[in-house]
Amino acid sequence: MAVKKDLSIEFAGVKCLNPFFLSSSPVGNNYDMISKCFEEGWGGVFYKTIDLWPENEISPIFGTPGNAGEPWTAFKNCEHASQNSLEENLEHMVRLKRDYPDHKIFASFMGQTEEDWKLLTSYADQAGVDGVEINLSCPHMGRENMGSDAGTNPNLVAAFTKAAVSGTKLPIIAKMTPNQTTMLPAAIAAMKAGATGLSAINTVKSLIDLDYDLFTSQPAMNGKSAISGLSGSAVKPIAMRFTQEMASCPDLKGAPISSIGGIYTWNDAVDFLLLGARNVQVTTSIMEYGYRIVADMASGMMHFMDEKGFNSLDDFIGLAVKNIVSPSEFDREYLIRPNFDHEKCVGCGRCYVSCYDGGHQAIKWNEENRRPELDTDHCVGCHLCQKVCPVKDCILPGELVWRDGFKPRDIKLRTHFE
Amino acid sequence: MSTVVKKTYTDEAVQGYNLRTAREEARRCLVCHDAPCSKSCPAGTDPASFIRSVRFNNVKGAAETIRKNNPLGGTCASVCPYDKLCQEACSRCGIDKPIEIGRIQRFIVEQEQAFGMRTIEGPAVKKAGKVACIGAGPASLTVASKLAEAGFNVTVFEAEEKAGGMLSFGIVPARLPQEVVDYDIKLITDLGVKFKFGTKVKSVEDLKAKGFDAVFVGAGLWSSKKIDIPGADLKGVWAATEYLKKARETNGKFDSGKKVVVIGGGDVAMDCAATAKLAGAEKVMIYYRRTIEEAPADIEEIKYVQAMGVTMTTEFAPKEILADGKQAGFVVFEGRDKASEAKVMADTVVFAVGQTPESMAKLGDFNLNGKGCIVVDEKTGETGLAGIFAAGDIVNGGKTVVEAVAQGKAVANAIVNYLEKKEGAK
Repeated sequence: MAVKKDLSIEFAGVKCLNPFFLSSSPVGNNYDMISKCFEEGWGGVFYKTIDLWPENEISPIFGTPGNAGEPWTAFKNCEHASQNSLEENLEHMVRLKRDYPDHKIFASFMGQTEEDWKLLTSYADQAGVDGVEINLSCPHMGRENMGSDAGTNPNLVAAFTKAAVSGTKLPIIAKMTPNQTTMLPAAIAAMKAGATGLSAINTVKSLIDLDYDLFTSQPAMNGKSAISGLSGSAVKPIAMRFTQEMASCPDLKGAPISSIGGIYTWNDAVDFLLLGARNVQVTTSIMEYGYRIVADMASGMMHFMDEKGFNSLDDFIGLAVKNIVSPSEFDREYLIRPNFDHEKCVGCGRCYVSCYDGGHQAIKWNEENRRPELDTDHCVGCHLCQKVCPVKDCILPGELVWRDGFKPRDIKLRTHFE
Repeated sequence: MSTVVKKTYTDEAVQGYNLRTAREEARRCLVCHDAPCSKSCPAGTDPASFIRSVRFNNVKGAAETIRKNNPLGGTCASVCPYDKLCQEACSRCGIDKPIEIGRIQRFIVEQEQAFGMRTIEGPAVKKAGKVACIGAGPASLTVASKLAEAGFNVTVFEAEEKAGGMLSFGIVPARLPQEVVDYDIKLITDLGVKFKFGTKVKSVEDLKAKGFDAVFVGAGLWSSKKIDIPGADLKGVWAATEYLKKARETNGKFDSGKKVVVIGGGDVAMDCAATAKLAGAEKVMIYYRRTIEEAPADIEEIKYVQAMGVTMTTEFAPKEILADGKQAGFVVFEGRDKASEAKVMADTVVFAVGQTPESMAKLGDFNLNGKGCIVVDEKTGETGLAGIFAAGDIVNGGKTVVEAVAQGKAVANAIVNYLEKKEGAK
């Protein structure tokens, strides 16, 4: 029988069927799209951002770096807020709440002044949605004091959050920008000003592969492009870092976090939950593969919980937070030498090349039998060799060596690879 | 019911790559240190290097690598027995299956042509020294190309009206399209190599008398063996080279036979069977006197003709061809076990049991072996006659194109040394 686990979770006071939400983007822009995504298993949606200005769209809107035809490593957009009229969007939300009462809708807004923010969030109450996300983080704005301009200025974050809170009685999630050295002052300012929770990351300011005729990036409009938002797999590690910093920040203790950035699989979602997120938001993978990917996110997460003996998401949310520490706290008393399985080895020599050119010249290459041999005098235990080996379980951690002056003791070691 | 491969005579057997699919395949490459694939290419084409170029987005660089190392890079991409050479050596075999090196090479040479690249060029200032090449097959073409690249003046003498030798007259186009051969030859022609077609060389001495400082003999093997059994002279009984040549010359529109028996177990036999099937024969049957394991044919070629519906019966040798009027009617076979017998209806019988050289006696006073092949110094191709070199099938008795290229390269070096020494002595 198929494994079933309860994926329901409370996020910012809102009871959700599961933690999988669409992020505020083209993937959630009208009734038909969102009803389809609910039917396929998404728990809720952060509706596409609504502002107070008509949008003059560009064409094309997107760019992808790397080799065409291969899975995206990243995705660059210069998307605007919703092109629908305010009335249309409110009407879609009303109908969605009527037809899908158990699914959750957060309206996303973006204003330029405190008056804008108060007015915009008041519409959420009219539409009868479950919450509000305030967009303080769009990285490619054409107007001042908006988007990431606001999100990198804690004073503006505080003022706009306060104004947004004054327009609605619904929970407010402040969406943070990664385009700063630290997100914490802005996140703390938002929470102090009355936000219920935080979401991160919005996209990362970027340029991707240039066109060699136009000498510009993508998307290109009449030969010009712009620095604009990057999303997808490449930004996930950056999003994880910001999630960890917020989850471990004493001044943000208890603030519910919704994580965004490069989520394609259940593993990606679990990673963010382990770092303390209570909700995850997804766009890029949906743009690449469609809403249907949520089925494997949900099923895969249930199997993960079954294997680990977890019965609810709360059983594992935040488990990794305490294990991410400052490099100054590392245990530096031992090294682990790699072990080469000469039976599994196919003789490609990649370990030898990388160890020589990028490591410590600690692998000797036997030209006769095409196998690596470890020079223990030079090996520092960096495990670069293991990272380049194309064969499953061929190079694994081997002998553990205590450095001079340190006595053997029990330590925690990684046992599972791939 | 099985789906049988149905193609016309000139349709190619294998679908080519495009930039995306070639890169996908190149990404499977493990990028080995001291790569076994490159070490196992007789001609030194260096697949590890050109695959890496594709992987790191440098298709033009890949084309330069191939052409610099192998003047018949296009031809080899189509006909090389990869599964016995570079692909067998590929480290990826230890994980799943080898990189499709032949198809990647094919893609690269197609790009070379599409870009109109001049991947090989001779020096601006020509060197003193005139060389004649006898025959325009793989060995001669390689020698001519390498010598022209080195700056020497080269003339190729060819009895037929077209260059390529076996490449143009002996291999089924499904395996080696004529355009591929023609492009390899075009690049060699662009180097300034001159071709004299329809010209039978009198003798090597005659060429030397006409002012050639060195002569290369790449005459190939053009006498097809027929097994001397009763009925071998009937109408409808062919030697493989004649059968394949007729098919190439007529673009497959010739009396290829209805029920065809091909005798042999090498790539030439497979080419004859494919030719018969593609040219419209109803039934094509290969008979081979040994087992499949012993057959010299590339297993992919065997699989391919079988996928066309050709049958292959092993351990049967022909004993007699029975007449139906003047035409062949039946072939009688005897089993290797000396007990089994078979009588098979066939109006056409093709002997693909190896080729022999035409007589070399008039051409020069060569040292010949028992098979009539020229005996040479293995490393240099020197025949023992001053300034006369030889390589290819006429020396090795009939091997692969890539081996002819390998020998051609080595001999070209020896000729360069010879010419430079000669020039220095003046």
